Amino acid sequence: MGKMKMALEFIKIKRTGLLPAFLCGGLLASMIPVLNMAARSEVYVNLPQPPLDILLDGNWQTMAMLNLLLTVIGACMVYHIEFADNAMEKMRALPVGEGWMFLGKSLVLACMCIVVLLIEIAGLAVCAAVWFESRGIMWTELARNAGYMLLLLLPAVMLSLLVASLCRNMWIPFGIGVLGVFAATMMPSGNFALSLFPFALHFHVLGEQAVELGAAAGVEILALGAAGVATQKIRRWFQ
Amino acid sequence: MNMIETHDLTKSYGHFQAVSNVNLHIPKGRVYGFVGPNGAGKSTTMKMLLGLTVPTKGSFSINGKTYPKDREEILRNTGSFIEAPAFYGNLTGEENLDLIRRILKLPKSSVAEALELVGLTPFQKRLAKKYSLGMKQRLGLAGALIGRPQLLILDEPTNGLDPAGIHEIRELIRSLPKQFDCTVLVSSHLLSEIQLMADHIGILNRGELLFEGPLEELKAYAASNGYPVDNLEDTFLALVHQAEERGWEK
Amino acid sequence: MNGLSLIRMEWQKLRRSKILGILVAAAIVLWVPSVLNAHLNFQMQAEGISPENNFFIQGFMGLAWFLFPASIVVSTVLLTQIERGNQGILKMLTLPLDIRKLCLAKFIVLLSLAGIQVLISAGVYFISGAIASQTQDYDLLLGPVPVLRMAGVIWLTAVPMAAFFWMLAVCVKTPVFSMGIGLASIVPSVLMINTKVWFLYPMCYPFYAVTMEYGRLAENMSGGQIALVPWIPVAVLFNGTCLIIACLCFGKAERR
Repeated sequence: MGKMKMALEFIKIKRTGLLPAFLCGGLLASMIPVLNMAARSEVYVNLPQPPLDILLDGNWQTMAMLNLLLTVIGACMVYHIEFADNAMEKMRALPVGEGWMFLGKSLVLACMCIVVLLIEIAGLAVCAAVWFESRGIMWTELARNAGYMLLLLLPAVMLSLLVASLCRNMWIPFGIGVLGVFAATMMPSGNFALSLFPFALHFHVLGEQAVELGAAAGVEILALGAAGVATQKIRRWFQ
Repeated sequence: MNMIETHDLTKSYGHFQAVSNVNLHIPKGRVYGFVGPNGAGKSTTMKMLLGLTVPTKGSFSINGKTYPKDREEILRNTGSFIEAPAFYGNLTGEENLDLIRRILKLPKSSVAEALELVGLTPFQKRLAKKYSLGMKQRLGLAGALIGRPQLLILDEPTNGLDPAGIHEIRELIRSLPKQFDCTVLVSSHLLSEIQLMADHIGILNRGELLFEGPLEELKAYAASNGYPVDNLEDTFLALVHQAEERGWEK
Repeated sequence: MNGLSLIRMEWQKLRRSKILGILVAAAIVLWVPSVLNAHLNFQMQAEGISPENNFFIQGFMGLAWFLFPASIVVSTVLLTQIERGNQGILKMLTLPLDIRKLCLAKFIVLLSLAGIQVLISAGVYFISGAIASQTQDYDLLLGPVPVLRMAGVIWLTAVPMAAFFWMLAVCVKTPVFSMGIGLASIVPSVLMINTKVWFLYPMCYPFYAVTMEYGRLAENMSGGQIALVPWIPVAVLFNGTCLIIACLCFGKAERR
């Protein structure tokens, strides 16, 4: 039953432009390392680190920022379609637990993020193949990084959705999300506590403190997911 | 003297003709009822009259004036209410009307007057998004009536109202030509309802005008064509049915 | 209806929109990290910039590079959604208004919101500067003249960018795309300010202006006067084109 309710959320995003927007966003982000290498490969090719580390060092901050902004917009949209024509009222009058909708939407956004990350990984692989040909592509490294990136993006997905589910008017969660992303970019990199902020996690790549950050992300996903589901249930008392 | 005249007014969306070659003659100072089943093209016609959509073919004049030349002049003297009520949810009923008042450059008192006319005065300070369906409908009507325009274009104004509300609004519309010296074009999908407010009627089906004229004429027309005349709703259904059959034969 | 009363009316539509709350929050998010990292202002010997100038310019750089452009995008979402939410635009179209003037009035409101934001940010600068001065035991505050001048420059150079975002919001009906393109167009400004053709990319104007100011304040950095030609003609042309397209598109979907 739960599966069907979540599948519904995929139907709802039809014609919202969400999928093309995420595809374009992914393509745009994947172009960043390609363009960067095309423009100034001489800065990078002779560095001693593994190719993937060089590429991520040079480009990941911008790519991660795009991913986060995309996530914020996506979260605003999946709830905007509920509020815009009062579909929310209808949904709440149907025998569906309100928490399922939140989880379904998280799943939709998570899937979109997977698509985006895959495109970006492909972009990185192309760069590695073209400019670091001699060193070979490390597919397992790419796969491990992709999984880690997704894990660290999901807390931001959950938090944006939680905020979006609380606001009828799209500009409010959009504004809050943009502020969140900006705040994350302003945080000093050395501070471990601050880097646990859901929007800040995704800027980290697989490296130092990977286990701690990964575990923190896992905890945040569960906590924000539970908070999201609980919020949907208790909001009827405030309306 | 006609307030609105249309000549072969046509609107098509791709291959679909929403309104085809409609010739309306809406007399000044009367209530003109525009009847037709859902999707007959009533709203599209009214939207063309308000300049919300451009006709594919044909022309029309309102009080001798035409679009796009006299757009502002026409709209200044026309109060309208189209489909679902259009308003700003973050503003109160009073504030919504105040916006319209400013655009029309009306005195401040006109807001209170419009609220009073539709019976919204007790709820004027409430946010429009918190209004019930009936209240939203009344707010839309108030936005049309404000400033006593010469012409009122009302698209299904009684939708969503309770029986008492329907009666009240119907009486209001009925009284408008005398009270404000205006012309009213009002649409509905119920002939039985239009019958209670309109002097003239036009029947539209699938974009085509089946009949136009005073109510008495409709009865005579129906009798001469062998349609039932005891109950106007039956007359209407027979008219529409006949037109559908002719349509299929074509 | 004259322009001024149209603008006043557009302001009235923003009541209870909570946009001011978002703008204040933005200013706070902007300056809190500066206060927390105030000690870093004393480690700028390589650049040759004084701590007070550094505190001032770093904050305004953050504003001009991302926060300010992104807030303008948020404001455009507000301005369009308020009309579309309950079909208010439909009512407007049936009133005797010049639709193009209405579109321009909304653009003026957008610029006013942007103006309010730079002013709030400047205001919060003085508060956060005072706090940081206390914690660092060093006067990090500049006088009001350079601060307001900087705020004015950021606002003025953002006008063509605001016109572009407004055009996006009006012409691109699917909100995902208007928001997405808007935000995505901000990101490349970091790259564009380093090119010779920066003036072709209005999204980087405010950031470019602040970077130039940084160059002037830091002895060991390059910077200086911005060449007004061909910048100003390009900016005016871009601005005009965007506004004309926006005015032509405005209300079109509702008048189908």
